[in-house]
Amino acid sequence: MKAPYMPKISRRTTLKWLAAVTAVSSISQYVLVGTQKAAAQPISKGYGTDPNLNNPTVPWARTMTPHQLQLTAALADLILPGTESAPAPSALGIPDFVDEWVSAPYPEQQADRTIIFDGLKWIDAEANRRRRRDFLQIDDQHRQQIIAAMARKNNGTVATAQGTFFGRFRYVVVGAYYTTPAGFKDIGYIGNVALTSYPPVTERERAILDAELRKLGI
Amino acid sequence: MSAYVLTQAGLKVLMLEAGRDYVPATETPMFNLPSEAPLRGAATPDKPFGFYDATVDGGWEVPNEPYTVAEGTQFRWWRARMLGGRTNHWGQFCLRFGPYDFKPYSRDGLGFDWPISYEDLAPWYDKVEQLIGVAGANESLENAPDSPRGILLPPPPLRASEYFVKRGFERMGIPVAASRLAILTRPFNGRPPCLYATHCFRGCSIAANFQSTTVLIPPARETGNLDIRTNALVYQVDINRRGLAKGVSFVDRRTGEHHSARAKAVVLAASACESARILLNSKSALFPQGMANESGFVGRYLTDSARAYTVAHFPALEKLGPRNDDGVSMFHMYVPWWGYAQQAQKELNFPRGYHIEPWGGRLMPEMGRLDGYARVCEAAYGSKFRDEMRQKYGSFFGFSGCGEMIPNEKSFVDLDPNVKDKWGIPVLRFHWEWGEHELRQVAHQRRTFLDVIERLGGTAIEGTDTDGAKAIQSPGVIHETGPTRMGFSAKDSVVNQFGQSWSVKNVFVVDGGVFASHPDKNPTLSILALSWRSSAYLAEEARKGNI
Repeated sequence: MKAPYMPKISRRTTLKWLAAVTAVSSISQYVLVGTQKAAAQPISKGYGTDPNLNNPTVPWARTMTPHQLQLTAALADLILPGTESAPAPSALGIPDFVDEWVSAPYPEQQADRTIIFDGLKWIDAEANRRRRRDFLQIDDQHRQQIIAAMARKNNGTVATAQGTFFGRFRYVVVGAYYTTPAGFKDIGYIGNVALTSYPPVTERERAILDAELRKLGI
Repeated sequence: MSAYVLTQAGLKVLMLEAGRDYVPATETPMFNLPSEAPLRGAATPDKPFGFYDATVDGGWEVPNEPYTVAEGTQFRWWRARMLGGRTNHWGQFCLRFGPYDFKPYSRDGLGFDWPISYEDLAPWYDKVEQLIGVAGANESLENAPDSPRGILLPPPPLRASEYFVKRGFERMGIPVAASRLAILTRPFNGRPPCLYATHCFRGCSIAANFQSTTVLIPPARETGNLDIRTNALVYQVDINRRGLAKGVSFVDRRTGEHHSARAKAVVLAASACESARILLNSKSALFPQGMANESGFVGRYLTDSARAYTVAHFPALEKLGPRNDDGVSMFHMYVPWWGYAQQAQKELNFPRGYHIEPWGGRLMPEMGRLDGYARVCEAAYGSKFRDEMRQKYGSFFGFSGCGEMIPNEKSFVDLDPNVKDKWGIPVLRFHWEWGEHELRQVAHQRRTFLDVIERLGGTAIEGTDTDGAKAIQSPGVIHETGPTRMGFSAKDSVVNQFGQSWSVKNVFVVDGGVFASHPDKNPTLSILALSWRSSAYLAEEARKGNI
């Protein structure tokens, strides 16, 4: 992602969102600098135990700062770079979803909020340590070096904050990306369509599996 | 089920439902995408099985209606607060209990026999299957009865991944059978067949699966004999001077007002544990320990199903290209228990069996579902990672066991002496302990999964420990049964073979609470068959003037 990330929501929603950000910014800072206990506290109510399933709404405001959103977009696009046939996460509004996720009042998301906000701070600090600039100011090659360092820590046997951040950030981005129609198309999910009958295993599929089974001695 | 049978028999029925009204035709999120839901539909404390799950006002916790768990034990109680209750979210898996399942004590000296045999219940299974519609095949299996010819709808064809896994089990000498599912594969009784898309756990707006809200309550209403009052939380059966039930007391969940309703008979179908709670709370001078509890059996012998599961990655499945694996959303095949002969020869160290529910393939991407694939990719990010995700998607396949639990003395419910719900009603306290039989059985489940995975060239990525205590899913799989068990006399049980209280003749229990034992087969079909049998008996007794 080269150009700044623009949230993929209508202007009206954006204005509402900006108002909400302003309203909760003090809380947001408190969460950032506060104790773990404070970070775990819901910042608003959830959707309740009987939400309208056919006309869903997200009742909590998004709370990321514009800078956090830009960092999120840059990092998400490094994880799943766009191709000729599949858009990059930033083109699908995935950063907005990460914002929705970390702003949700539920325990899992509140825990991720701390992990992800700390992680975003760390990549800026790491970029400054390496290049004396923020992450968004360094070139792609140096961004790649930082994400590679985090990914190695995620695969390591010792848990580290950067490794945990990478794992949880990728969890949210991958989940968000592949649950969109574009994500379905990219990964090859072709269901969720009404059929009059269910197609049996095709001859081609059977031949592929029989060959694999033979290799396994079955 | 009971309201359906009683109203058809011409009796006037008042149904008191603790939850709100619920209309699947308009409320079910059919085809809605994860991307349209908050958090992509991920599970939250408000919706523990995901945003689109049908459950209303429920889950592991219900607002204002707590329960407690005895110190040192674990239990979680799934409830729903909606018309149709838990039939709006269930696996649709419909196995008949077999002849052995009704006489377990006679076979191995453990647990309890039922006061009925398979032959007693078989005609009622026939009637239920003909009413709700069950897809499946007659496989002539030991202790997994066939249905009479012409009753079953054709089973859906196997998914490609199921075909692959089936071959692995067969190589181990373990037969695989077509699933039996309350999902229509043909038009049936005025209902359309499955669309082979959108998950049954969301409910079904076209009534192609079984929910009491789509299959039983509409025809019961059409008789003109059914009144339904929702948000009516029944907490007590009221008694008259002759020692018979005169009705029930309930609280309106919205207003907090207490009411009573009069009736000639009371039928409890509140779910196994809630019905036990109502009886325990129905204290009077005549029944100081709660109604139908003279022998102290109400609440005892709570059972669930014993489960281990394993998820594995199969490189062979990566060779398949995109295909539609939605199917009927549930598994199209299952592995019936195959070890009766081995158990008879004392070759196994556990006395009762389990079946295997296999699932996997190219399931709809949901929040969290694809993270497992991400974790087995060699590349952690970037173009190669994206390519690997595309390649690996659909190559995961899982195995869940569902095994018989033998009733034990340490698994039961009673009333918490201190805790009350919002309306002042004492709440249930759960006590729970798996027996050694279950722990050894789930260890065998796990070893079987790992064996078939290895033969098929797979790698287990979740669920690998073969220590039964670590492998078993606690508390269970939302199959509570037994706390108002049926038996041969008032000395050994709460109700008779018709679910009728031994001591209060016009009180019946028609939910899973009446199970004397809990075989590996999932309980819903048997609850429906027993309920029909009990309700037909009640209607006949009413006709004779005995109630």
